[in-house]
Amino acid sequence: MNHRERWVNCLHFQPVDRIPDEEFGYWDETIVAWHDQGLPKTVRNNPEADIFFGFAERRWAPVNFDLAPGFETKVVEEDDRHQIIIDGNGVKCMIFKYGSQLTSIPHFIDHTLKDRASWEEFKRRLDPETPGRFPSNWTEITKQWENRTYPLGIHVGSLWGRIRDWMGLEGAAICTVEEPDLMEDMVEHLCNLIMRVLEKVVVGVQYDFADFWEDMAFNGGPLISPASFERILVPRYKRITDFLKQHGVDIVYVDCDGDINQLAPLWIQAGVRGMFPIERASHSDPYRLRDKFGKDVILLGGVDKVALIAGKAEIRKELSYLKPLADQGGYIPHVDHRVPPDVTYENYLYYLDYKRDLFGIPRPPAHSEAINS
Amino acid sequence: MSLEDLSQAIIVGNRQKAIDLTEKALADGTPPPEVIYRGLVPGMDVVGEKFRNNEYYIPNVLVSARAMSASMELLKPLLVSSGMKYVGKAVIGTVEGDLHDIGKNLVRMMLQGGGFDVLDLGVDVSPDKFVQSVKEFKPELIAMSALLTTTMPGMKKVIEKLNDEGIRGTVKVMIGGAPITQRFADQIGADAFASDASSAVLRAKELLGVSS
Repeated sequence: MNHRERWVNCLHFQPVDRIPDEEFGYWDETIVAWHDQGLPKTVRNNPEADIFFGFAERRWAPVNFDLAPGFETKVVEEDDRHQIIIDGNGVKCMIFKYGSQLTSIPHFIDHTLKDRASWEEFKRRLDPETPGRFPSNWTEITKQWENRTYPLGIHVGSLWGRIRDWMGLEGAAICTVEEPDLMEDMVEHLCNLIMRVLEKVVVGVQYDFADFWEDMAFNGGPLISPASFERILVPRYKRITDFLKQHGVDIVYVDCDGDINQLAPLWIQAGVRGMFPIERASHSDPYRLRDKFGKDVILLGGVDKVALIAGKAEIRKELSYLKPLADQGGYIPHVDHRVPPDVTYENYLYYLDYKRDLFGIPRPPAHSEAINS
Repeated sequence: MSLEDLSQAIIVGNRQKAIDLTEKALADGTPPPEVIYRGLVPGMDVVGEKFRNNEYYIPNVLVSARAMSASMELLKPLLVSSGMKYVGKAVIGTVEGDLHDIGKNLVRMMLQGGGFDVLDLGVDVSPDKFVQSVKEFKPELIAMSALLTTTMPGMKKVIEKLNDEGIRGTVKVMIGGAPITQRFADQIGADAFASDASSAVLRAKELLGVSS
């Protein structure tokens, strides 16, 4: 069974020889911290770490559903610890110049997208006909996917998360309450953009999955009310997921984060059946979701990162807790977000070994061979 | 017009109406503290309760808090001369190494809506800065926020610094943020943990012995 067959079967609750060997990833500062703990310095980023640790590969089609072009990134001012920048979303924000929190969420100061007038400007960057939304040698690229052994997906972007990025949480919240028509126009525009681009890139390609990015919940629940979600987002998600289903893509998941208990039923209603990464510390529990939604929900994540911080006994306890659920199918357990730097390299290697042994996943070739091959 | 109408404007998050009703109340000679305690605070109490009961979500809270802040801007310049007595004074900030402020800002607004005088130190706040603010602002409460497991230890450093300076006994310490738990609060010797902005106000009032 190759990885593609295993991954697709697993998420369709079909028989597999073992669960897919996948992990979410690492904060940049984790990789830096691990260099002092034994991780070779040749491993500098997430893709290199995936190869080094020997995970099974998934690939995504190179399609852009986002701002095209993005805003020019520039430094506006700086002191000895911080920089104030304009980022690619047109957001003025403060970031650390160096240190332990380089990839942390920045401190937002101001946003370019504020109202209907600024939205009209934004829309020019969200034109589905903009050249470069997919490579000009598209046909040639798709030929390479014909006999693949890895799952191929398409990242279809976002209906709300990117609007929140562009407006800020407060701006998006106020817009949802005070200018619901504008919020609906923006979501509709993004939906149309996704549909128009999708129509072109589904031709002749059988994708294995599609995914949205929303980061729409925090540890206390959703960042948008379920009522607004149901009214504004569900019908648009459904248009996209129905279209994908017509083209053979029935595994659709969302990068949701946080406590998703109130939004999960709405996503499932909208055809987004996969929740990723099930964050335990945020009260999202894979067993509870399975009990509630049965095989209507597919699950990714769910290994509490706090267990990896706590130590080897907690790691064993955590993985043993999740094994019976993984054995039922429809679930790929992995750390429930990027691994933070307070997880030691030793604990992480122990976690990988224990997980692979427990789930019958062959340990990959020695790490040094993996990185050299 | 009554202060109940102002409360209602806060509850539904009608910023312009909150401004108009505050101006009207002041023009009618209503003392500013009464506008706060009979208009804004009851309104934000309802918002907090609705949030706890999942009737309100983050957008509703933000819109209500914005309406309350607009009203407070009109009242602030008048408070010193009015003999305003807050339910308590609080210092709030995100700990050193951490730039996250959405949760911290919500707690600040909810505390203000609960009748607290709040000094917001911002983000990436060093233990020295927290301690200095206790000496200068003389709060009864410090509220600290962290989103990252790696910055949580900064909370302990603040408490240690308060101990070192001999002023720990003058101020209660409340902590919160995504990775924070009651267990962690107990471990570092904080006085309270709040799981969200609404319960932060309740915890703060409990700590200070203020009735809700």
